[in-house]
Amino acid sequence: MNTSTIHDLGYRRYDGARDGWTGAWSALFRQGFRSMFGLGRPLRAKGIPLFVIVMALLPCLATVAAAAASNGQVPIPYGLLIGSQLLLIVLFTAAQVPEVLCRDRQHRVLPLLLTRALSPRQYALARLTAVWVAVWMVATAPLLVLYVGELSIATDPAARFAEMGGRLWPVLLCGTMSAWVIGSVSAMMAGLTARRGYASVLVAGFFLAMAAVAMGAEDLAALPDTVGEFLDPLRALRTMAMLLFGETTRAMELNPPPSVLVFVLGFLGIGALTSLVAMHRLEQVDA
Amino acid sequence: MSPILIDARALSHRYGTVLALDRFTVSIAPGITGIVGANGAGKSTFIRILLGLVAPSAGEVRVLGHDVRLARASICALVGYMPEHDCLPPDMSGIEFITFMGRLSGLPAHAARERSADVLRHVGLFEERYRPIGSYSTGMAQRVKLAQALVHDPRVLILDEPTNGLDPAGREEMLALIRRTGQEFGMSVLLSSHLLGELARICDRIVQMDGGRLVRADSMDELTGETGDLLVDVDGDVAQFAATLQACVGPWANVTVQRHQVQVRPLAEASFDGIADAVRDAAVELDVGLLRMERSRARLDDLFRDVVDESGVAS
Repeated sequence: MNTSTIHDLGYRRYDGARDGWTGAWSALFRQGFRSMFGLGRPLRAKGIPLFVIVMALLPCLATVAAAAASNGQVPIPYGLLIGSQLLLIVLFTAAQVPEVLCRDRQHRVLPLLLTRALSPRQYALARLTAVWVAVWMVATAPLLVLYVGELSIATDPAARFAEMGGRLWPVLLCGTMSAWVIGSVSAMMAGLTARRGYASVLVAGFFLAMAAVAMGAEDLAALPDTVGEFLDPLRALRTMAMLLFGETTRAMELNPPPSVLVFVLGFLGIGALTSLVAMHRLEQVDA
Repeated sequence: MSPILIDARALSHRYGTVLALDRFTVSIAPGITGIVGANGAGKSTFIRILLGLVAPSAGEVRVLGHDVRLARASICALVGYMPEHDCLPPDMSGIEFITFMGRLSGLPAHAARERSADVLRHVGLFEERYRPIGSYSTGMAQRVKLAQALVHDPRVLILDEPTNGLDPAGREEMLALIRRTGQEFGMSVLLSSHLLGELARICDRIVQMDGGRLVRADSMDELTGETGDLLVDVDGDVAQFAATLQACVGPWANVTVQRHQVQVRPLAEASFDGIADAVRDAAVELDVGLLRMERSRARLDDLFRDVVDESGVAS
C-alpha cells in the first residue's frame, strides 16, 4: 500500500543568506561563458564552437605528432600556426559573441535583469569578461597544446623545459593579445545591434573590411607596410606572434616590422578603446 | 520596517521636452494598490523610477523607507517586478530562467534552485517547468513572468499590466493568483492596469494619475462608496414613471432616466425615507411593478471618465 503523502507546504518565505551583487555577477558571467561554447543551449548552438576548437587543435596535434616522428628535428612553428588560426577565432567570435551580448536586448530581458542586484556597468563587465575569458581559452589552447606537446615528446622533458621554459610567456602573451583585440572589437561590433544575425555579419565584416583596407592602402595608395600592419588587426597579431617566437618571412626580412613592444602597446590601446565603446553600448537600457 | 510602502515627494521626471512626472506626491500603504491613468499619465515612468531604471529629475521617493537613489541594492532585494512587455528568452526552460533570475537577485545557487521549483508550483507551472519558454502559451508566459518576480521573496511586487493578452479564463486565474499573492504570501502589490473592473475586484486602494500628477489616492471603499443617489427599476413605462416620480418628490430631488433605470438624486436636506415613500406612491399611482430599489455606488469607470472629460475640456 502506498503510504506516501504530498504535503502542500504553502508559500515559504526566504530568510537565508543572500550573496548580493557578487553572486549575481558570477551567475551572469557563468551563464555568458557557457553560452560562448553553446553549453546549456540546444545542440545547434554547439556546432560552431565545436568546429572551431577541433579545427584549431587538429593542426597543432598533427604538428606535434610530426615533430615526435622526426625525433624533434622538425621545428614547431608557433607563430605561423597561431597566425593561420586567427580567422578561426574570428569565426568563433562572430558566431558566439552576439549570442552573449545581443540576446538580452533582442528578447528585452535586459531591463528585467537590471531590476536585480546589478548595475548596468556590472552587467556590461560580467558579459564582456565572459567573452574575453572564452576567447582567451580558444586563442591560447592551441599554443598550449604545442608547448606541452613539445615538452612531452622530448627525450628528456626536464632538460627540454629548462631549455624552453621561457617560451611560455610568449605563448600567454600571444593568446592574451589575440583574445583582447579580437574579443573587444567583436564586442564593440556586436554591441551596435540587438539582432544576433546582424551582429555576426558586423563582426566578420569588420575584420574582412580592415584586411581589404590594409591591402588597398599598400597596393593602391602605396603606403608603407607599417600602416597596413596597424590597419589590419589580424595581420598585426600574426606578425607579432612570429616576432615573439623568433620566426620570420621573406617580407619581414625586406621590411622589418615594428618591435613587439609597439605591437603590444597598440593592441592594448585598440582593445581598451573598443572595450569602452562596447561597455557604453551595453550599459544603455531601453527600459 | 516602514509602515509606508512607497513615499514619493514632489517627484518630477522629464524626457527631453516632455514632462512625464510633474511634482508627483503620493504615499502608498501596504496592501494591494492599483495605479490607473491614461497612456502618458506617468505610470510607467513612476514604476521605472521605483525600480531604479530611471533617475528622477527632481524630488525623492522611498520604498519601505529606502531612498531609491541611495539604496538601490536594498530595494532590488525587496522588490519583484513583472513587466508588461515580452521579456522571456525563448530557448531557456522555465526552471532554468527562474533559477537564473533567483541567482541574479543574490540567492545562493541551492536556494535559487529550491525557490524556483517552489514558485513555479505556486503559479501552476510545476509540470511544464522543463519545457522551453518559447513553447509556452501567453498565459503560461505571464505566469513565468510572475514567478521570476516572486523567486527572491520580495516584500513588494510591482506588476505592469499582468493580464495583458490573456483570455477571460486566463485573466480570472491571474487575478486570483495576484489576490492570493497579496493576501496569503504577505506581499504588498502595486498593480498597473487599464482594466478598471479588474482593479476594483482585487485592489484595496487606487492611485489615479493624469498628466504626470496625482489625481486621487483613496481606498477602494471610499472610491466606490454610496453616492447618495437612488436607482429604481420598474416593470412598466420608465419615462412615465420618472415624470410621475418627479411630480411626487417636487423640489427635493432630481429624477432622470439612466438607460432602463430611474435615477433619483436627492437635493440638500431631502430625507431618504421621504423619497422612498414617493417612489412607492408613484408606483401605486401608475400601477407598475417595483422591481428593485438600491442606493447607487460610484464606479471606477465613472471616476476615470470624469478625469478624461476634464482633460478634454481643459485642452
